[in-house]
Amino acid sequence: MQKLSYNLWFGKFNGEVEVSKDLKQSFKSARNDAPLQFNVSEIGLKIFGNNYYNLLRKIAIDVAEEKVEKELKSDDKYVIVLVKALEQLDEAINALKEKKEDLELVRETEIQEEFANTLEKLERLRLRIEDEIASVMEKIAPNLTEIAGVKIGAKLIERFGSLENLAKAPASKIQIIGAERSLYRALAKIRKGKEAKVPKHGIIFAHGFIRNLPKHKRGKMARFLAAKISIASKIDFFRGELEEGLYESLKNRFERLRRA
Amino acid sequence: MRNVRFFGGIPATKSKYGSHYGEKIFEIGNERFREWVPWRSKLSAVLVKGYEIEFYGNEKVLYLGAASGTTVSHLADILDEGIIYAVEYSAKPFKKLLELAKERENIIPVFADASKPWGYSGIVEKVDLIYQDIAQKNQVEILTSNSEFFLKDGGKFLIMVKAKSIDSTLESSEVFSKVLEELSKRFIILKKGTLEPYHKDHMFVFGVRE
Repeated sequence: MQKLSYNLWFGKFNGEVEVSKDLKQSFKSARNDAPLQFNVSEIGLKIFGNNYYNLLRKIAIDVAEEKVEKELKSDDKYVIVLVKALEQLDEAINALKEKKEDLELVRETEIQEEFANTLEKLERLRLRIEDEIASVMEKIAPNLTEIAGVKIGAKLIERFGSLENLAKAPASKIQIIGAERSLYRALAKIRKGKEAKVPKHGIIFAHGFIRNLPKHKRGKMARFLAAKISIASKIDFFRGELEEGLYESLKNRFERLRRA
Repeated sequence: MRNVRFFGGIPATKSKYGSHYGEKIFEIGNERFREWVPWRSKLSAVLVKGYEIEFYGNEKVLYLGAASGTTVSHLADILDEGIIYAVEYSAKPFKKLLELAKERENIIPVFADASKPWGYSGIVEKVDLIYQDIAQKNQVEILTSNSEFFLKDGGKFLIMVKAKSIDSTLESSEVFSKVLEELSKRFIILKKGTLEPYHKDHMFVFGVRE
C-alpha cells in the first residue's frame, strides 16, 4: 500500500519528515485535500524545538508580503480584462444564437448539433467568467460590490480604468458615465441656447434601485447612488474593509423614494 | 477576562504595544491599556453587552476574517502566551495586518481564502478556538469546514453572524434562527446574542464542538 504523504509548511511527511530546503516554497504548497490525522505543530516542535513558532511566523510574513504586493498590483487589471472578455462573449453568443436558429429553419443537419454543443460550451465559459469576476470583486472592492452589485461595480472599474481612478472620480461623473453620447448631445443643444435634457444615469441605470423607481424619481436615486458608490470605492481603495451601514442607508433612501 | 479591564463601561486590554487603529492608549499605575472600542470590534461589543467569554491566555486560535487586525490586536493582548493564526484574503487590509504581525510574536498571518481550509491545512495546527468574522453568504459553511480541519475535540468557536450577508431579503431574526438551527446540528451552542446597537443585524454565537 502506498504511504500517505502530507504537505506541511516545513516539508513533506509520510511517517518520516523530509524538511524542505526552500521553506517559502513548501509554505506556499502546504495544501492537503483532507484534514490531517495529526497536529502539524507537534511534528514541527520535535524538529525545530522552541524555534518552531518564530520560524513559522517569519516564513508566513515573508510569503504573505510577497503575495500581497503581487495581488495589489494586478487585481483590478484582471477584472478589467474579464469584463471586456465577457462583453465580447455576450455579443458572440447572441450573434451565434441567431445563426443557429437560421440554420434550424433551413435544414436539419449534424452541424446543427455541433453548433448547439459549442454554444452551450460558450455559455458555460460565460458563467465561469461571471463567477470569477464576482469573486475578485468581492475581494478587491467589497463595498463597491455591496452597493453597486458585481456587474455594475466591475463595469465601473473597467470604464474608469482602475479602482484608483474610480475612487478619485467625482460622484457626478460616476452618475453619468456610460451616457456620454446623450450628455454631449444635450450640452451641444444647450450651447445653442436650446432646451435639452441631460442624462440622469449611465451604467448605474442597471441598478435595481433605479430601474424599479418611476421615471421622475430616478434622477434623485441616481444622484444618491452615485454618491454612495463614490464613497464605497474610496473606502475600498484606501482602506479595503467592508463598512457596515453603507448599504443600509442606500436601501433606506430607496424605500423612502418608493413610498414618497 | 484575562488582560481586560473596564473603564467607564468600555473595555481595554493590557498591552505593551502602541495604537493600531487609532484607539486611545493610557496608563494606570505602571500598566498600559489600549481602549477597545465596541463600535469597531464585535468581540468588544460582546463584552460590553455583558457576556463573559473566558480565555486562559495560552490558547491556539484560528482567526478567520482578520481584516486589518482591529480585533486581532486585542485578542493578541489577551492571548499573550498563545498563538493566533490570522487568515485574511483581501490584500488591502492585509497590509495593515502584516504591520501588526511584524510587531507581535503571537500572530501568524496567513494570506488565504477561509472558504478553502485545505489550502492552509499544512500550516495551521489544531486549535482551541476558531474565531470567525466573515461577511459572506456561506459563513456557516466556512466555520464548519474549518472546524473539521482544525478544531480540537471539545474546541470552542465564536462566530459573528452577519444576517444581511446571508440573505438581505429576510428579517435578521429569521436568518438568525436558521443559522442557529444549522449550527446546532454540529455544535453545542453555549451563548448567543445580538450586537445591537454597536453592530446592526449581527449576532454572536459561542459554542463548542462535540
